[in-house]
Amino acid sequence: MDPFLISVLSNIGLFSFLALSAWLLLIGGEISFGQQAYFAFGAYGGGIATAVWGWPFPLALLWGAGLGAGVGALVAWPAARLSGVHYAIATLAFAELTRASLNVFRYQRDVDGYLTGPDGANGFGDIRWVYETGIAPGTYLALIAGLLFAVITAIALASRFNLLAQLRMVGEDPILAGMQGLRVLRWKVGAAAAAGAIAGLGGGLYAHLATYVEPAQFSVMTGVHAVAYGLIGGLGTALGPILGVLIDIGLLESLRALAAYRMIVFGGLVALILILRPRGILDESLVAKVRAWARR
Amino acid sequence: MLDLVQNTVDGIAAGAAYALLAIGFTLIFGVMRRLNIAFGPSIMVGVFLGAWVHAQWSAGLVGAAVATFIGALIASAYIERLSFAAIRGDAALASMASSFALWMQLEQGVALAFPGRTTAFPGLPALPDLETAGLFLRGDDIMILAVAGIVLIALHRLIYHSHFGLEMRALADNPEAARVAQVNTKRVAFLTFCLAATVGAVAGVLIAAADGQISPKFGLWATLKGLIAMMIGGLGSLRGALLGGLVLGVVEAQAQWYLGAAAREIIVYGLLFVCLILLPAGLAGVRDTGAARKL
Amino acid sequence: MLKIRDVQTSYGKIAALKGVSLDIEDGGLTSLLGPNGAGKTTLIWTIAGILKAQAGSMKINGEDILGLKAHQIVSKGIVTVPENRLVFPEMSVTDNLIAGAFSRHRDKGGIESDLEDVLTRFPRLRERADQLAGTLSGGEQQMLAVGRALMARPKILLMDEPSTGLAPIIVEEIFEIIGRLRDEGRTIFLVEQNAHMALKYADRFFLLEQGKVTFSGTPGEVDEKEVLERAYLGARKAG
Repeated sequence: MDPFLISVLSNIGLFSFLALSAWLLLIGGEISFGQQAYFAFGAYGGGIATAVWGWPFPLALLWGAGLGAGVGALVAWPAARLSGVHYAIATLAFAELTRASLNVFRYQRDVDGYLTGPDGANGFGDIRWVYETGIAPGTYLALIAGLLFAVITAIALASRFNLLAQLRMVGEDPILAGMQGLRVLRWKVGAAAAAGAIAGLGGGLYAHLATYVEPAQFSVMTGVHAVAYGLIGGLGTALGPILGVLIDIGLLESLRALAAYRMIVFGGLVALILILRPRGILDESLVAKVRAWARR
Repeated sequence: MLDLVQNTVDGIAAGAAYALLAIGFTLIFGVMRRLNIAFGPSIMVGVFLGAWVHAQWSAGLVGAAVATFIGALIASAYIERLSFAAIRGDAALASMASSFALWMQLEQGVALAFPGRTTAFPGLPALPDLETAGLFLRGDDIMILAVAGIVLIALHRLIYHSHFGLEMRALADNPEAARVAQVNTKRVAFLTFCLAATVGAVAGVLIAAADGQISPKFGLWATLKGLIAMMIGGLGSLRGALLGGLVLGVVEAQAQWYLGAAAREIIVYGLLFVCLILLPAGLAGVRDTGAARKL
Repeated sequence: MLKIRDVQTSYGKIAALKGVSLDIEDGGLTSLLGPNGAGKTTLIWTIAGILKAQAGSMKINGEDILGLKAHQIVSKGIVTVPENRLVFPEMSVTDNLIAGAFSRHRDKGGIESDLEDVLTRFPRLRERADQLAGTLSGGEQQMLAVGRALMARPKILLMDEPSTGLAPIIVEEIFEIIGRLRDEGRTIFLVEQNAHMALKYADRFFLLEQGKVTFSGTPGEVDEKEVLERAYLGARKAG
């Protein structure tokens, strides 16, 4: 496969983790501008695990996802009382706090004669695992795709067992959901943990592909993009946020000639889509219609 | 001790500008119950138009200021029409996402039109610096405080002592009741956007002139400052926006002085996070109105 | 069955319930009337566990339920049909109904058959089974809310102003449904502004004024006119 195409698809895959993470919280009724923080925890955590501690790669990924889940839950627990703008800004604050803290976070150890590890604002390079194992870009893409597919399957299973519907109820109307017997706080924290895990997993994959990460990469803009993908692609299904990523990055690539104007085109497109379909392209009513048709 | 007071003085001047930005956000959120996250970028369009006018015709600060107002108004009108008026009532999320999309547009548009990391903006008129009792008040800061003060007083009169202000407050309090009371809600919403743009433009001119230059990063910067100040002070409260802005300015100045730039960021965001968790009503103690739930 | 004694609930400094005492007996429809602002919805939300009472007691068959959280109240068989937040708008009618049974989610067979029963009881809902609940009319949403509550196999149904915002013809329809439920022997606690309709169907009623129960009786015994006056306008001042 053409190396350029592999690179683009890898990007789409990695951003999809971030977009799914934000989407899960959205259907749970919370806007988070801060999923990039858990992406960062996954990237830094996973990177440190392989580059500094010499852990095996799968364990490093698990560690990154676990960090994302743990921190996500920890943040969500006090923040669960908040809603709307308050929650959104609180998550933004935490994410920026993370980024600002990473700017001063130094953790370097001697590994095989080289000083390895995060160096504050100078970034964290030499995440050499892909070089050491000689893994081909195509194979890594397959790994990304495989894990993304696993996440989507897990979400589909959750849907099958009515877990997603319960989360949606909590998202649409927490008081009414409480009246049906749902434990709202548990759902909010649980969703945040799951979302954090997904973002953390993506972050770990990202760090090992890029081999270099720095705090500036985990910015507010990244976070707001993550939420926007779900809102554009559609809140009705997990494929929605992925569609959003496809539209953005796909547009970038197909408009190569107009690359300089990509954001202008994308921005205008999104604004128009949202006028016609305020809950995104693959919104709940479309999904309901498809389900009804499939049942026939 | 003197440092503490000096920093407070410096911080209040910066905070005055933040307060204006926060007020702009608050006006829109209070009346529309939706967050316009493209507010910062719309002011950015204004200041860049001002810089351009100055570059073309040596228009000076006054000319640049007028152009800034016009640019901010046009950009705000664009956002209001496309992201707010066009999207139906209960879809607050869609408005927010749409305003983000337009932010992307405006930012890239400005970056294309003004390549180069920074662009020059005419400076503030040279006022003498003031020195009393070992405290130092820069001429620029005096200017900012004076202008901000005038704007705040004028705004207060408008909101609390004019018919339009009454309509705004009615709409902010209870949209259905306002509609029934013959308030032209669409017109008031649009004009509120314009008012927010005006207040924001003042902040933009002051900040740009004090710096002497602007960059496309201004959009994000102004958005963050305005949002942080608004949330510290208390969402939906104008008094809160003012208080939040001043507090932010002072905290930043103190943190920067004693601990440096990196620590300053950590403290500001840490403060914001803790504030939101412990005091969701903000420093001004405004009750979290049901409005926040709609988003 | 449900005994409420001296319950006090406040919003911050504002005392909404100042010592409410009443009994909701098994079987039949007990109605709570009262003017706006009397605290009727506050009482429902306190029983439902959404609001916490500051004082007093609530016991169901001798068991203390004051201070229990919302989901625990549901598991005791006390199900609420709230006012103004009737449905989950982005979910289908069927999903909304199934949502009502989440407290008994392990009972798959039972849920299937209950769903059938509810759709039979409300043919209009069966017609619209796959539609998004947000697209239903006001009356249909109210029906859906009642159907959803029934899916929880409630021991007590708490209904908060089911007539709100509905046209008179639809209100009659809804009350007919409530009446049928009462005839089937269910226990219903109905809070209503529409005192006239409530009195038509109630077996007994209480009057709530300014956070306290000031009057109680059965519709046959009392001067309906006086009750209606007080329910809508509040007690007349002496003189």
